[in-house]
Amino acid sequence: MQVSLRVCSLQDLEPGEGLRIESVTPPIAVFLTEEGTVHAVDDTCTHQDASLAAGWVEDCRVECPLHESTFSLLTGEVDQPPAKKKVRVHEVQIDGDDVYVELSQEAPNLPPGVTTA
Amino acid sequence: MTSYIAGSPTEGHLLIIGAGLAGYHAARGARENGHTGPITILGDESLPAYDRPALSKAFLSGTVTVQDLALDDPDHPLDVTWIGGSSAVELSASPLGVHTADGTFHMADTIIIVTGAQASRLPFSGTRNPDVYVIRNVDDAMALRGCVAEGKKVAVVGGGFLALEAASTWMDRGAEVTVVAGEANPGTARLGQPVGCAIRALHEQRGVRFAEPSRAQEVETDEDSQVLRLADGTRIEADIVICAIGATPSTAWLRGSALTLEPTTAAILCDDTGFTGVPGVWAAGDCAQWASQASGIRPIGHWQEAVEQAGIVAAALTGVPPAPFQEPYFWSEQYDVRIQAAGRLAQADQVQILEGTIEGGDLLVSYLKDGEEVGILGMNRLREIKRWRKLRQIKHRAALAA
Ligand code: FES
Repeated sequence: MQVSLRVCSLQDLEPGEGLRIESVTPPIAVFLTEEGTVHAVDDTCTHQDASLAAGWVEDCRVECPLHESTFSLLTGEVDQPPAKKKVRVHEVQIDGDDVYVELSQEAPNLPPGVTTA
Repeated sequence: MTSYIAGSPTEGHLLIIGAGLAGYHAARGARENGHTGPITILGDESLPAYDRPALSKAFLSGTVTVQDLALDDPDHPLDVTWIGGSSAVELSASPLGVHTADGTFHMADTIIIVTGAQASRLPFSGTRNPDVYVIRNVDDAMALRGCVAEGKKVAVVGGGFLALEAASTWMDRGAEVTVVAGEANPGTARLGQPVGCAIRALHEQRGVRFAEPSRAQEVETDEDSQVLRLADGTRIEADIVICAIGATPSTAWLRGSALTLEPTTAAILCDDTGFTGVPGVWAAGDCAQWASQASGIRPIGHWQEAVEQAGIVAAALTGVPPAPFQEPYFWSEQYDVRIQAAGRLAQADQVQILEGTIEGGDLLVSYLKDGEEVGILGMNRLREIKRWRKLRQIKHRAALAA
């Protein structure tokens, strides 16, 4: 069943920055772009255990803070190694000040050594 | 407007010698820039290009498998022919090509040499083969992974990040670890006093012992023991010795070839596009020394440097504007601490703690030259380091013009 979760308020977000949401498993990252759009993807990079919320957001992509792979905030696709797999994208709805996320039903591509348990 | 001329025919045969990080990225870059001819990558190991940094960390601890290590994406593989287990033994300038150990001559229109470097080893003496390991390739790491760690005495020789990563992995695996390095606080000369102290504290808090600073000289074995002998006379008993004392360019096969090798290190000398001076032959990564590295402006032996060089060679070959060099960047993982550094640390005349403490393992350190910030280092400061790098990123010329 699809449910919308309130994950944060717009005030919690800073343009160009990501916010890690740990209340869901695996954690997700919510981004407010400089252009003012809000996106949500899995927070954990698919290469290693790095938080994409700490990454660099530009042109609707987030670059992993550890290595050079970047992920599309629209599709989750990765552009170059070392990461090979995409991250899941979660649907975002804004209601007033509240940011709601509908979690993807796909299986997450977690890096080796990271489990949801 | 500068125009770029392709250094290699687009439909020609591109032969890449070395199946490592630089080889993979050179091939990938050539394809992305429109190289349509065949690309062959010869490697002396059996595996195609893999993620080497993981060998001393996640692979050594068993978290990551051989499949996980592969750089190429099995779902979107590069259009190249990988030939494994094939060592180059001779370069021919005319006709252009490479002879391999199995007697094959591989003809080429363009050659990129990316054979990397091989780990330096300590001499040994005694009655049996010593339990001494290096960490350079998958086979080395597999051998180490197969060793029982629990309760074993392990001596790690070297004070660089590779040595310290090995120390942390072996502590986590339950060994008793002693680090033998030239500095009391490893990293001080290169990264500054606070960072050297923080690194030592990080390891001491987990129970690593540090020998008095000295140079390891030899490993001696007899039937039932093994001893690491240091220059100051100290003898350290160790079931396992791990050597991380640097690497030398894998260029022995090029002695006597038309290429110019650096007299001391035997690195292949290149200009800042990777061109060797011999028509059709280019080199990048750890086997090469580019002009800006010779002058000390650029670092040698870093992952990031190999990727950038590979991209520049691929651009030069295909005639597209090369991406400009970025600030050097390197990183390490020790226990649960990620150390990242960017910029020109070697030029700094002052090191300043911006945030965090030595004991806390959470330092953010700035490197200054004449009062101007030239570098940064963070321990578990992923956000800050990424921002520092991106704000200093030099954009592609084409992108700037647009
Ligand atoms: S951890 Fe994200 S690219 Fe390596």
